[in-house]
Amino acid sequence: MSSILKKTDLGAWAAALEAEVFAPALADGVWAYQPVAPGANDGGVALTHPNTARPPKNFAFPQREVLYTFEQLKGQAPKLTETLPNPAPVVVMGVRPCDGRGAPRNDMVFTGAFDDPYYQSRRAKTAYVGLACNTPPSPNCFCKAVGGSPSSKEGLDVQLTDLGDRYHVVAVTPRGEELIEAGGKLFAEAGAADEKESQRLHSEAAKCEQRTFGDLAAAAPALKKNFDSEMWQSLAKACIGCGICTFLCPTCHCFDISDEVTGQSPMRGERVRTWDNCQFPDFTMHSSGHNPRETLGARLRQRVNHKFLYFVENNGTQQCTGCGRCISFCPVGIDIVAVLDRMIQA
Amino acid sequence: MSGPCSDPMQPRPFRITKVRKELSDTVTMDLEPVDGGAFAYLPGQFNMLYVFGTGEVPISISGDPAEGSRLVHTIRAVGAVSGALCSVKKGGVVGVRGPYGMPWPVEVGHGHDLVFVAGGVGLAPLRPAIYQAMHDRAKFGRVVVLYGARTPDDILFRKEVEQWRSRFDLEVAVTVDRAVGDWNGNVGVVTKLIERAGFDPTSTVSFVCGPEVMMRFAAQSLQKRGVPAEGIYLSMERNMKCGCGLCGHCQWGPHFVCKDGPVFRYDRIASMLTVREL
Repeated sequence: MSSILKKTDLGAWAAALEAEVFAPALADGVWAYQPVAPGANDGGVALTHPNTARPPKNFAFPQREVLYTFEQLKGQAPKLTETLPNPAPVVVMGVRPCDGRGAPRNDMVFTGAFDDPYYQSRRAKTAYVGLACNTPPSPNCFCKAVGGSPSSKEGLDVQLTDLGDRYHVVAVTPRGEELIEAGGKLFAEAGAADEKESQRLHSEAAKCEQRTFGDLAAAAPALKKNFDSEMWQSLAKACIGCGICTFLCPTCHCFDISDEVTGQSPMRGERVRTWDNCQFPDFTMHSSGHNPRETLGARLRQRVNHKFLYFVENNGTQQCTGCGRCISFCPVGIDIVAVLDRMIQA
Repeated sequence: MSGPCSDPMQPRPFRITKVRKELSDTVTMDLEPVDGGAFAYLPGQFNMLYVFGTGEVPISISGDPAEGSRLVHTIRAVGAVSGALCSVKKGGVVGVRGPYGMPWPVEVGHGHDLVFVAGGVGLAPLRPAIYQAMHDRAKFGRVVVLYGARTPDDILFRKEVEQWRSRFDLEVAVTVDRAVGDWNGNVGVVTKLIERAGFDPTSTVSFVCGPEVMMRFAAQSLQKRGVPAEGIYLSMERNMKCGCGLCGHCQWGPHFVCKDGPVFRYDRIASMLTVREL
């Protein structure tokens, strides 16, 4: 069963949710998830974004997160205070299918042999209301090439499809059903014509031209075969190691942990984890100065291999959802689709 | 394997009860949990040791796993954190997260000869396995410790190594890269010791720990003697931040050294050891 929500009722739905609601808004020329003001029932919420510059991964995995605070009075043992979050429920609206597919991939990392309680406590409270792509939001979209689709529901709790003046709404998870229930009479039962129109848009979207590197199954063996290829060092000639590709990636999850000392007597501070980046030389540097991955080419290769080779070996799926941000935002034009294409052709 | 506590990011405070200076840049410290209680681990596992306000480093445990509450670490001052750790005095408190990582599978050696090959400070992560082998001495054939240090002054646990040498149930050989002072022992790389040590290669399990290049050559020498690749284990080292497979720093091909290692069976990683910048 599916429903219909008038676009002008989106704000009212957001207001009806007992949660902090975020939706993409244009701020300083950049689309970013912004809090929806309480009582925004004037139609002020509109999902007209292409895609946000930053993926929504920060809702479960913030860019900077305090793990605990410490304080040491002179002559005493340090006192630690755990800062495990107990967040209020969050609903993120307008999540594109690629970013939706990022969530279960990050779950695979932070759940397993060691469960990460910081990630999990936020993740458990975060719901994603997705927006299917009727047309590719970016010329660098390649979700189809990595097993996704412009109407993928993977990782989402609710899927919206833009039918012009209204959304066709599908609950994907029980949490999604709750969210729709909370909207009460704002939602009307979808008619057969709406469902048909939604399906038509999905299949039209799937026909839209997107970038591709060809056969997804060929990527891992090609990367294995071309590990020692000269291409890596030559691709890296342009790379300046800025790391924007990984910071903006919906599935890159590497982090650093460091102490931020805020006072000396008593010595006190915070243990903080922050997003880190395999493109930086000190990511792998030993204290001795030895660096097992010291060249830009090797680090570029590591990023691609992690996503299309090692993650596949460990988790059975690619750690890339085809959002295209790493291509669009690379200051020197390094293009992961072209890289994979070259590796597969080589 | 699950974490030792519900939050793998929280260190447990340990008080330093004893500090022994081993070498000019290396100390061994005994630690006890401030909250009392025990600390169980397996030989070859490591902890993230934390100096409040400075940072954390992965350090292998160097003590005897049979000792319930005493945790022993041997630390070489190399960087900012290990340097700060080495200068914490008796009575000081540091944080401990762990134990992490795959252990030396000592029990695999039951019924076989056991050959330990150590290079430099690499003797420290092997020592818990050596202790365990001595506790269960009857379960093994010959037990051999082959140890290479840079100079005689760099021989770790020297008194203890000398005691081991005096035992009838252990074969111990030590070599140095460079003889100085009154050294009358072996000079040369540790692989030379492998060539002439007394063990039955067809029934041997070997644990190797030291610099990566030394481990590679040691594994090759062991194989040349006839030890099967499946009987050789190495302990790898990489930069680590979380110690539990999340942060990505220690990724080595498809492996995370912190949770899939640090101890790896040689035949599973042999091809990776020669790959540059993996």
